[in-house]
Amino acid sequence: MSEAEVGSKAWQSIPVGDDLGTLDYVLTEQMVADYRRVVDNPQAAYPTVAARHPANLFYRKYASIMRVPNMGHDSEYFNPPVAGKRITISGRIKDKYIRRGNAYIIVEATAVDEDGRMIESSCLVGLAREVGSQAAHEKIAKKWGA
Amino acid sequence: MMAAELKAGDHLQAVVRDVTNDKMVEFEKVVWDRGRNSHSDINVAKADGISRTIASGQNQMAFLHELMERNFGDAWVYGGKISARWIHPVYAGDRLTANGLVTEVGVVDGKPRVTLQVWCENQDGRKTGVGTASAGQPSAKRSWMDARAKAGAARVAS
Repeated sequence: MSEAEVGSKAWQSIPVGDDLGTLDYVLTEQMVADYRRVVDNPQAAYPTVAARHPANLFYRKYASIMRVPNMGHDSEYFNPPVAGKRITISGRIKDKYIRRGNAYIIVEATAVDEDGRMIESSCLVGLAREVGSQAAHEKIAKKWGA
Repeated sequence: MMAAELKAGDHLQAVVRDVTNDKMVEFEKVVWDRGRNSHSDINVAKADGISRTIASGQNQMAFLHELMERNFGDAWVYGGKISARWIHPVYAGDRLTANGLVTEVGVVDGKPRVTLQVWCENQDGRKTGVGTASAGQPSAKRSWMDARAKAGAARVAS
């Protein structure tokens, strides 16, 4: 089967380099406290782990046609976010490829706070699943009986 | 205070965490509420093709973060890198252990850099997430906690 046949029409329609725009939010003290409690780590430096910046930017634009279950994450951390500061995230489609018959999309997001401090850069390795024709976790169910 | 330098073959002090349904549900709400999904709602999970909810990959990432924070301090928090892949489902009731093994100590841009294999494994010893991470040699400093304490004190004083 050719690569073109493996990737869905939705996957083929999303261009590498596509600008996903920006989003922003204020990381509150409450968010930090809640994250630390949930992960049982009172010193957690990066509550943004739970914010899923790449996925949120991707779904704002493509939720109607594509799901990207998290198969992996590549991240670099520069400065931990400070509670009370506004964080702006920006993203793009960094890459897409076929591997072992599966189509993937790599979504990159960078986060910068209101003082211009670089917080993190992260890439979601998403398994491309077309909405309406491919259940998001069907592959996991087949492989693991989940 | 100096932290002990690591060398190839050293194991990090592991982090063990229990995954519960309540925490899986809450993890999907903290910082950025994602609504109901296959990590928090059985009906959504079934619609997505699985018979029960599974913990999100970022939930495992949180444990790997704690592993690196505890063992590296500032050296991880200011300049750490990680590349992880989620290779087996994690369920409510699982006990995950986050591990790290130093594979190389080198120099990058004139500074020492420690490279590790990192992974999470469940109570059966099955790996659920695997990857590599790197940071400078461990630091005893926890500057991000000091900065937050100072910010809190300043607010109280004002």
